[in-house]
Amino acid sequence: MKKFNIAIVGLGGQGIITMGTVMKDAALSSELQDVSGSERRGGAQREGYVETFVKYIFYENESEMSSPRKNMHSPMIESGGADALISLEPLETLRGARYLNKNSIVIFNQTPYIPISVRMGQTSYPEISFIVSELRKITENIFFYDFDAISIENFNSLTQKNIIALGALFAKTDIPIDITAIENILMEGKGAENNLKAFNLGLKL
Amino acid sequence: MGKSNLFINGTKGDKAIVLGNEAIARGALEAGIGYASMYPGTPASEIIIALDKNKKNVENLYTEFSLNEHISLHGAIGASWSGIRSLCAMKNVGLNVASEPAQFLSYTGVKAGLVLAIGSDPGAPSSSNEQDDRWYSLHTYMPILEPSNIQEAKDFTKDAFEISEEFSFGIVLMAPSRLCHNAGALYFGNLRDRADIKGDFKKDPENYLNLFNMAVRNHTKYLERSELLKKYLIESNFNQIINKSSSRIGFISSGVIYAHLMETLDILGVYDHKILKLGFTFPLPNELIDRFFEGLDKVVIVEEAEGFLEFQIKKIAYELGFKGEIHGKDFFKQTGELTIDDVIIGISKFLEKPLPAYFDFAVKKDKELQNNLPQRSGTFCIGCSHRATFYSILKAVGFSNTEEKERDVVIAGDIGCYTLGLLPPYNAMDFLTCMNAGLGIGQAISIFDKKKKVIALAGDSTFYHSGIPVLLNAVQNNVNILYIILDNSWTAMTGHQKTPSTQKDIDGKPSPNALNLKDLVKSLGVSYVKSLDPNSVKRFASQIKSALKEPGVKVLIAKRECVLQEIRRNKILKKNEAGFSESGESLYEIQKSRCVKCNECFVELACPAIILKKDAEDEADFYYIDPASCVKCGVCYEICPNSAIRKVEFDLKPAFKLSRKNADKGFNAVQVNVNV
Ligand code: SF4
Ligand code: SF4
Repeated sequence: MKKFNIAIVGLGGQGIITMGTVMKDAALSSELQDVSGSERRGGAQREGYVETFVKYIFYENESEMSSPRKNMHSPMIESGGADALISLEPLETLRGARYLNKNSIVIFNQTPYIPISVRMGQTSYPEISFIVSELRKITENIFFYDFDAISIENFNSLTQKNIIALGALFAKTDIPIDITAIENILMEGKGAENNLKAFNLGLKL
Repeated sequence: MGKSNLFINGTKGDKAIVLGNEAIARGALEAGIGYASMYPGTPASEIIIALDKNKKNVENLYTEFSLNEHISLHGAIGASWSGIRSLCAMKNVGLNVASEPAQFLSYTGVKAGLVLAIGSDPGAPSSSNEQDDRWYSLHTYMPILEPSNIQEAKDFTKDAFEISEEFSFGIVLMAPSRLCHNAGALYFGNLRDRADIKGDFKKDPENYLNLFNMAVRNHTKYLERSELLKKYLIESNFNQIINKSSSRIGFISSGVIYAHLMETLDILGVYDHKILKLGFTFPLPNELIDRFFEGLDKVVIVEEAEGFLEFQIKKIAYELGFKGEIHGKDFFKQTGELTIDDVIIGISKFLEKPLPAYFDFAVKKDKELQNNLPQRSGTFCIGCSHRATFYSILKAVGFSNTEEKERDVVIAGDIGCYTLGLLPPYNAMDFLTCMNAGLGIGQAISIFDKKKKVIALAGDSTFYHSGIPVLLNAVQNNVNILYIILDNSWTAMTGHQKTPSTQKDIDGKPSPNALNLKDLVKSLGVSYVKSLDPNSVKRFASQIKSALKEPGVKVLIAKRECVLQEIRRNKILKKNEAGFSESGESLYEIQKSRCVKCNECFVELACPAIILKKDAEDEADFYYIDPASCVKCGVCYEICPNSAIRKVEFDLKPAFKLSRKNADKGFNAVQVNVNV
């Protein structure tokens, strides 16, 4: 059995859940494939920490797929269990760092959204260099981009940043899913044209 | 689920990725339900949303977002008694409200199958408590099914209807948020023909009349039915013993925690112990447990919360005279969500195995990091009128959220989006428990603490849920209290279901039976009632001030539609307008030269669209309204004491671009009218 675990973290309102849904929808191309992964979401409100997991599972054969010892998958990723972490907010990357191990790949968005506690002057927001140096203590595979800026530059809005980040994931990791599978899902959904463009922008990063 | 057509049309052989909640709904559809209802509540809401949004294309399906869970479950019972298979969904605390019909359901029994799907919320990320509703069944006797994954969520729900009919019980289907909001592969089954779903209420006084000795007789009957069900469950496939090996250690688990357990054993490379997977966690047949105990010295029960299974199994072990050890809550915590990490740590400890190195490193690293990270909490959406409401309340009571002084007003909180007002920076609630506790508890506080004024809050959906009798009670007893109803026209937090306050649907169609809340409040005997726009914060704050001076019950209705719905509707309507292109007609901006960083907008109001920026040249921080996020509600503009925020209106409709570079420098477009 092969697995590929992805943790996606960020804030409510950033399109984290959509990213997870697109990635899961792209997972059913083979019979011996399974997918699991839950999301943590509050209500409709913004700015709280949100995380979602995508776990791709590839069985070796039919008997593995029907074995109760092998075919039941937790909806969560254990600490240190992620092959990749995508974060749409710099500080939240550190909250999601628990899922990293020394081989994990981290992709994060460098536009900060400062929490209330910082607004009120109670604490300060960490520098990007601090975030990177903390992540380096776990893994060397760190990529960060200004997804907000890329989204605004190309779409005149922030709404595409999640799909751009999704493209970056495919560019930087050996995720065992065909790029065309993702494109097909994006093509079926709302705002297909922009989403495909955003995904391809990410692929080129 | 991307393919909503599969949800209603899919048949055997089809496969799709669905949410746990959608799988439950699909299971009910395959079972041929004709009735589905709920009072919306996270994490269960999508169960009924999935059915409701498809009902036009499903023959003979009635769906309802009921005003509360008590009504919703009664509705399901009425449908069942009319011969219609019915599904009622709710969140964990919903069962407290529905506990009365639930209590009677076993007495009377069902006619057509009835399933009660409960979304539990361990760790309470979306709830005001993390109660484990399974304990209810010790006195309601409702059987409990616990699916472990997406496939079981669908299959168990479908089967539950048959079992419900066979043993005449309403069946509880428990799904924690980790399952409700898990997405995974689902293999569909066939749908039942729906043409024959027609109601026919057959009188059945033997069962449906529940009074005096009839109630006692019904009580006896359901205890007997429970015994019959137990017999059936000894051999049923819902409960499975895995590995009848020679190991003397056995694990018992159910639901999502069973999935954590199986993955844990795989991670630890442990495959030789005996496992009991319980699909039905109530009732538990002694014979099944006895069969599992055979050859075991040690049994470990892996479950969430206080240990509902452990409680039952220890009793059975005593009856069976089992001599081995039984563990559970000595290895697994009772509070908070039981994560896969907790299961890995608990199982390793029990088996005296070292933790995997990568895992141990990650857990330690995380502990070290978390201590130094600024906390983050959710807040109102940009442009949300609740933000304006809380700002106005705090101003009216002469209180700044950044001051440490004791407030001499008691603010009674309640359940809804506005609950976030209890978080920083507002800190504007003194207590928060369940639906409509604010006004209820607030009344008594106002009677006994004459020094403090009491302001109680409620949203429109919360008010209609069970607030009307509480308000009547306040009127009848002439309590001194200010009641603010935050009427945003929708049950917004759970995905915008309609409330009686909804005037216009999302497509702009007026609701046929919209209620006038002000008239309703008046008719309850409240003479002091005003309906105001909370976004006019100065006026609203002064109205709160004057209301607090009056005796008796005062009601202020903060009336403004949820901004998300308003924006969505405008988008839909504009899309339909031919040739419409997005253009900037006005925007708010902070003039650097005038802003003295008094923090009124940045901290006191704390709209997330107002952000901190660094000047490219001198590195100085300044406040800036992000034009890509601002929804132009105008509240910051009204409150700036230094007239530093201005409204810029564009007469032309230039197709200008909101690029970061342009925004920093100010707009090049023609400014025609500048209001300062
Ligand atoms: S309220 Fe006005 S002066 Fe105060 S920080 Fe905001 S923009 Fe600046
Ligand atoms: S107008 Fe002011 S308060 Fe309203 S959304 Fe924009 S920045 Fe926020």
